[in-house]
Amino acid sequence: MPKRLDVIICGGTNCSSSHSIEIKEKIEKELEKRGLKGEINLVVSGCMGLCQLGPNMVVYPDEIHYIRLKEDDVSELVETHFLKGRVVKRLQWTPPNVEKFYKKQHKIITANCGKIDPENIEEYIAVGGYEALAKVLTEMTPEMVIDEVIKSGLIGRGGAGFPTGLKWKFTRESKGDEKYVVCNADEGDPGAFKDRAILEGDPHCVIEAMEIAGYVIGAQTGYIYVRAEYPLAIKRLTIALEQARKYGLLGKNIFGTDFNFDIELRMGAGAFVAGEETALISSIEGERGMPKQKPPYPAQKGVWGKPTLINNVETLANIRHIILNGGATYGAMGTENSKGTKLFCLTGKVKNTGLIEIPFGLTIGEIVFDIGDGIPNDKKFKAIQMGGPSGGYITCEYLNTPIDYKEIEKLGAIIGSAGMIVLDENNCMVDMAKFFVDFTLTESCGQCTPCRVGLIRMKEILNRITKGYGKLEDLDELERLAKTIKLTSLCALGGTAPNPVLTGLKYFKDEFIEHIVDKKCRAGVCASLFYAPCVNACPSEVDVSRYLAYMGDGKLKEAYLVHMENNPFPSVCARVCPAFCEGPCERGKFDEPIAIREVKRLFSDWANEVNYQFSPPENPKNEKVAIIGSGPAGLSCAFYLTRLGYKPTVFESLPFPGGMMMYGIPDYRLPKDTLKKEIDRIINSGVELVLNNEIKSINELRNKGFDAVFVAVGAHESIKMGVLGEDLEGIMGGVEFLKEITTNKNFDVKGKRVVVVGGGSTAMDAARVALRLGAKDVKVVYRRSKDEMPAQKIEVTEAEEEGIEFLFLTNPTEFIGEKKVEKIKCIRMEFKGFDKGGRRRPVPVEGSEFEIDADLVLLCLGQKPKVSKFSDELEINKDGTIKVDPKTLKTSLDYVFAGGDAVLGPSTVIESVAQGRKAAVEIDKYFGYEGEFNFSLREVVDTHYDEEKYLKPISRKTPKVVEIEERIKSFIEVNKGLTLEEAIEEARRCLKCDKGKEVYKKNIKELEKTLNKVI
Amino acid sequence: MKLEDLRKIREKVKEEMRLREGKARVKIVIGMGTSGIAAGARETLKTFLEEIEKRNLKDVIITQTGERGLASKEPVVVIEETDKPKIIYGDVTPEVAKRIIVEHIINGIPVSEYVISTEK
Repeated sequence: MPKRLDVIICGGTNCSSSHSIEIKEKIEKELEKRGLKGEINLVVSGCMGLCQLGPNMVVYPDEIHYIRLKEDDVSELVETHFLKGRVVKRLQWTPPNVEKFYKKQHKIITANCGKIDPENIEEYIAVGGYEALAKVLTEMTPEMVIDEVIKSGLIGRGGAGFPTGLKWKFTRESKGDEKYVVCNADEGDPGAFKDRAILEGDPHCVIEAMEIAGYVIGAQTGYIYVRAEYPLAIKRLTIALEQARKYGLLGKNIFGTDFNFDIELRMGAGAFVAGEETALISSIEGERGMPKQKPPYPAQKGVWGKPTLINNVETLANIRHIILNGGATYGAMGTENSKGTKLFCLTGKVKNTGLIEIPFGLTIGEIVFDIGDGIPNDKKFKAIQMGGPSGGYITCEYLNTPIDYKEIEKLGAIIGSAGMIVLDENNCMVDMAKFFVDFTLTESCGQCTPCRVGLIRMKEILNRITKGYGKLEDLDELERLAKTIKLTSLCALGGTAPNPVLTGLKYFKDEFIEHIVDKKCRAGVCASLFYAPCVNACPSEVDVSRYLAYMGDGKLKEAYLVHMENNPFPSVCARVCPAFCEGPCERGKFDEPIAIREVKRLFSDWANEVNYQFSPPENPKNEKVAIIGSGPAGLSCAFYLTRLGYKPTVFESLPFPGGMMMYGIPDYRLPKDTLKKEIDRIINSGVELVLNNEIKSINELRNKGFDAVFVAVGAHESIKMGVLGEDLEGIMGGVEFLKEITTNKNFDVKGKRVVVVGGGSTAMDAARVALRLGAKDVKVVYRRSKDEMPAQKIEVTEAEEEGIEFLFLTNPTEFIGEKKVEKIKCIRMEFKGFDKGGRRRPVPVEGSEFEIDADLVLLCLGQKPKVSKFSDELEINKDGTIKVDPKTLKTSLDYVFAGGDAVLGPSTVIESVAQGRKAAVEIDKYFGYEGEFNFSLREVVDTHYDEEKYLKPISRKTPKVVEIEERIKSFIEVNKGLTLEEAIEEARRCLKCDKGKEVYKKNIKELEKTLNKVI
Repeated sequence: MKLEDLRKIREKVKEEMRLREGKARVKIVIGMGTSGIAAGARETLKTFLEEIEKRNLKDVIITQTGERGLASKEPVVVIEETDKPKIIYGDVTPEVAKRIIVEHIINGIPVSEYVISTEK
């Protein structure tokens, strides 16, 4: 009976390690039980490519792709799908961008992987297997074959990148009574598994190619050198060789010709260096795998001293396609320098990981963001590591680089063995360098002293840097060692081993310096340099881990005081902070990050309720400090100056203090009363506040007797678009609009058609405020797509819920109207490539202009500081910000410091707070004091609840929000916050990273155990 | 092994692997919901499979689907042909299945007394 379903189960190493074979056996039993065995064909295939979704299974003819199968799913699958014909939706792989993953790939050499049964030679024959061998033996001379391979432009895929046709030619021309063909399957780079996938999924294509090579160079024996760590590949190869012999496709008189060829398997012990061809030859001969001097090359003197052709698995996998379709057809694919397709092992911080095959010429950005679907968890792309321990990094400026041997090499990386490890903001480059050096030093054969000893020295230095004991001279020493090792090592392992360090230093030197000078690991990896990842991620280093511990026991006051040590605006930050602390939260690796911001809200509101106050300095220091601007930077500086014993004066040009917190953030996110309480507390701690007083010259302050000045005037001037009609009435900046409605209650928006241009927080606020003030409709026009919006996710979601319309990939080109704006001419945008910051680059679609009506246009394209009035006194950067020394925040004038948005450009409250606090410390040092606070030394906070109870999956608590109908009519705060009980429960989910490795490890283990139980 | 032997194996196994191409001239979709099975859809399906083998039909594949809501007409079978409207049959017993194969699939004339409806 013919089969009605073909069920293909992936039996690659990745899927079979997650029990795909057991699943297959269970399906077999289930089919037998239900009498369906004769109708359904069950096949185990090689790697399908989507390894992280495994075990994978595809059911033909409808090509239903199932993922993450478990043995428990089998009876449902058989009953519902195989018997009743209904797809089991919950197991089906249906990502919205499934097309993207396949669209840009071009499967030639892996076309059979995941489609045929690698343990059945007949299935290989059915897809045209051994036809190429037949053609070569019956129709072609060796010269003709070499010709085709040269014409194809095929370059060796093992790493060194030598033209394959030439290698075949030289080996053929080499004189010798015996010759050998060797397939190098000693794939050893961390993160590389493409050769394994071919051997497991389509072993015959390698055997066939080796026979063709044997015919061409005049060899009768081949060796496949495969590492013993690839047991499945070895098993499949063994079966394939047996079957090929049985079918007469290997052995004597193949296809009735006088060509004889056989292949032996040689298992390597897994030494990385044995992948180097001369070392590999030694290992085949039974010697220790150590590289030898070249020349002589293997083409002249290889295995047993005879001419030997060594090709990589992937190189060989291309051969049958070149023979069957012709070298010229093959050579038409790819770029000028690199022909055909290339396999890559896409791993690391990318949503779709696995084995991919792409035509040369596709860009790095397309691989990471289209095929890979970008970085998970909204993290930022940092770099891609290509070529493993011999390779280097490619950073976001180079996302438009095409995959091409020469182009990649220009950037200091190599295509090499095709490992592609995507790194995000949480990867530390010093740690990466250490990892690769550690790998190569373990794998060094020890023959050459520079490699054997030099790598150890490099590791010692890197170790020191990650522990916080590094010196700046260490970086020069690293480079010196790297260069020596490169120049004086015999083989490529040594010659390329320092590459990860060298390219790391080339692109990320500031990160190395940060480790050495600031003792800071921004990625939160080098554990010796911080207490906990949350504390490390906060720009102001607020001690989250300590206040969470207090909150776990309901100690509001203690938690509040910890917060105040580093940030005097807990109520504000509980409402508007992007919560950098939550990003790297270790808990997020198991279920969800702790809702730190929401926990904070409880103790900050407590302090407002009880009216907690700080006393002013009793015997203030004599030095007088003036602060220009009362935003988060200015007031933070003022507060911490009072804690250092000063009584500073803050000058504010506007009628209310608070800067952007007051004028830029609407009440529905940050109620004014709450803000005022926090500001009052700072003023009461010993600050003099002078309102409605614009400082026009710094010298004026000097003359009034101030000894130091902190300039924190913010960035209040909206950036213009520079398009036609921008000066029409009814067009204004977003921050100007927000300021206007705060001060002028009569500003009329009722019934107006409002268009907001931009995608940041200001744009969201402007749009939502306009809606609340009775606008007829509100549209947001943004030139990129939703994913690229700089606004916080929650703001965008809430704006959408409230009925704001979004026009993505749209950009205004002209504002039209007599005197007042009436219409906006817009153009559609599309993405082409990537910009230097790693974001997709929008470009206009020609002829796609259209018009929208508008009575009020709010431009929210960012702001710049208004500091031109100080340009005679202070040095100003090209972008309009004040120039400072980033270490001390000192300006070009000795006694003047600057910070906040006036220095950073538009940034977050917490970044401004961090600069204000830092300025306070630096001003204290400037006066000759220590710059140290009175806070007690940090101690780990003991808790008094049952911690183990929380080491099981518990989801993150989300606060209630005000109903949409109610909130769009008023400025009532949208977020209602957690209850105290909820906040305490939430705080108890903390894994206590700050208690040191031992406690943390124990907690993780416990959590993993319980998590596994649930699954 | 001679070249001819290779080609023979190739043709034979290619035929067996046809399903993996996912395309065929005719797709027979059999309703295999609970009521379909109760009404004998399993037997109908087997008959289709046997007939396809017996008559060596190379461009026909069989798949199943769930209930269509027409319990009284089960077993329900849909014949999908490229560029033609879908034809939905009801009460498809093994005998009707044989007629569909011969009259509809081979000779191109639908078995009109069992057609419930046609769909674009």
